[in-house]
Amino acid sequence: MNEKINLKEIERKAYTSYHQDGIIDIFIALFILSLAASIIADMIWLGWIFFIIAAPIYATAKRIITVPRIGFVKLPQQRIKIIQTIAVLLGVLSVALGLVTFIQVESGNKPTWLVFAIENYMPVIGVSLATAFSVVGYALRAKRLYAYAMLALVTFVPGHFLHFPLHYYMFLLGTLILLLGLTMMIRFVRRYPLSATDTTGASNNER
Amino acid sequence: MKGDKARDDKLLPIPEIDKVIHEPARLTIMAYLFVVESADFLFLQRQTGLTWGNLSSHISKLERAGYIEVTKEFLDKKPHTALQLTNRGRTAFQEYRRSMKQIFNKLPKP
Repeated sequence: MNEKINLKEIERKAYTSYHQDGIIDIFIALFILSLAASIIADMIWLGWIFFIIAAPIYATAKRIITVPRIGFVKLPQQRIKIIQTIAVLLGVLSVALGLVTFIQVESGNKPTWLVFAIENYMPVIGVSLATAFSVVGYALRAKRLYAYAMLALVTFVPGHFLHFPLHYYMFLLGTLILLLGLTMMIRFVRRYPLSATDTTGASNNER
Repeated sequence: MKGDKARDDKLLPIPEIDKVIHEPARLTIMAYLFVVESADFLFLQRQTGLTWGNLSSHISKLERAGYIEVTKEFLDKKPHTALQLTNRGRTAFQEYRRSMKQIFNKLPKP
């Protein structure tokens, strides 16, 4: 029996148990829904404000909901650091690309790829979202995010042919992910009731 | 006897198994702490399915062997106990894995 300890499986279980609370799903959904609402309100910056304030709220939600139920764990940071490095590089490349594009457009010379992206913005959004979901899914070892990536493609790519407003698709995708996230959270809370013992192993009744 | 000598020639020397780690519950605890940076009691209890008393007893044994470091701290003004493998514990676990692999790889085929 002892030789059957599968470290990869144990590592996967440690990651997935920490992210089965549905919190990341709810936050992703709220971000998409806030972007959709900001399109309707014609205040595109509104959605990005959510993105900025989400991190501390996410940390607080983990502390209040997850940690008292399954405990506290510091997962290895190698994957996260790789993702962060890639994100920084992509950010720098995006800024550089944006500057070059801006200069070209200002000089009356629209690049071909920009014209293509504007004319096919729905599939471009779908592929971008799918890529983002896949990267986060890889970092957190949350396989369901790969399913969300497929959902994004299935939602946005047909949108290129259906010609409904953009926020319709965002509301659809955001609502689906929100429902899944809430379902996961309810299952998580039922499966892991608050422990009668605190993280030191001492009973809360003894206090 | 000739038969006994023939059997003895086939027996391979089995390396010293670390009996502290070899116990199934302690092996599971070591495995979980090996794949994370640190964890608390509640996390280990949820993952291993051990009772609190059982978990506490095994962790004490691992701490006495110098394989686990137990740090008591405060997290949001609440007492919190963090557990992590010491360097000695990591080395011992890796050595244990190597030993077990060696045993099963060198067993004669039936």
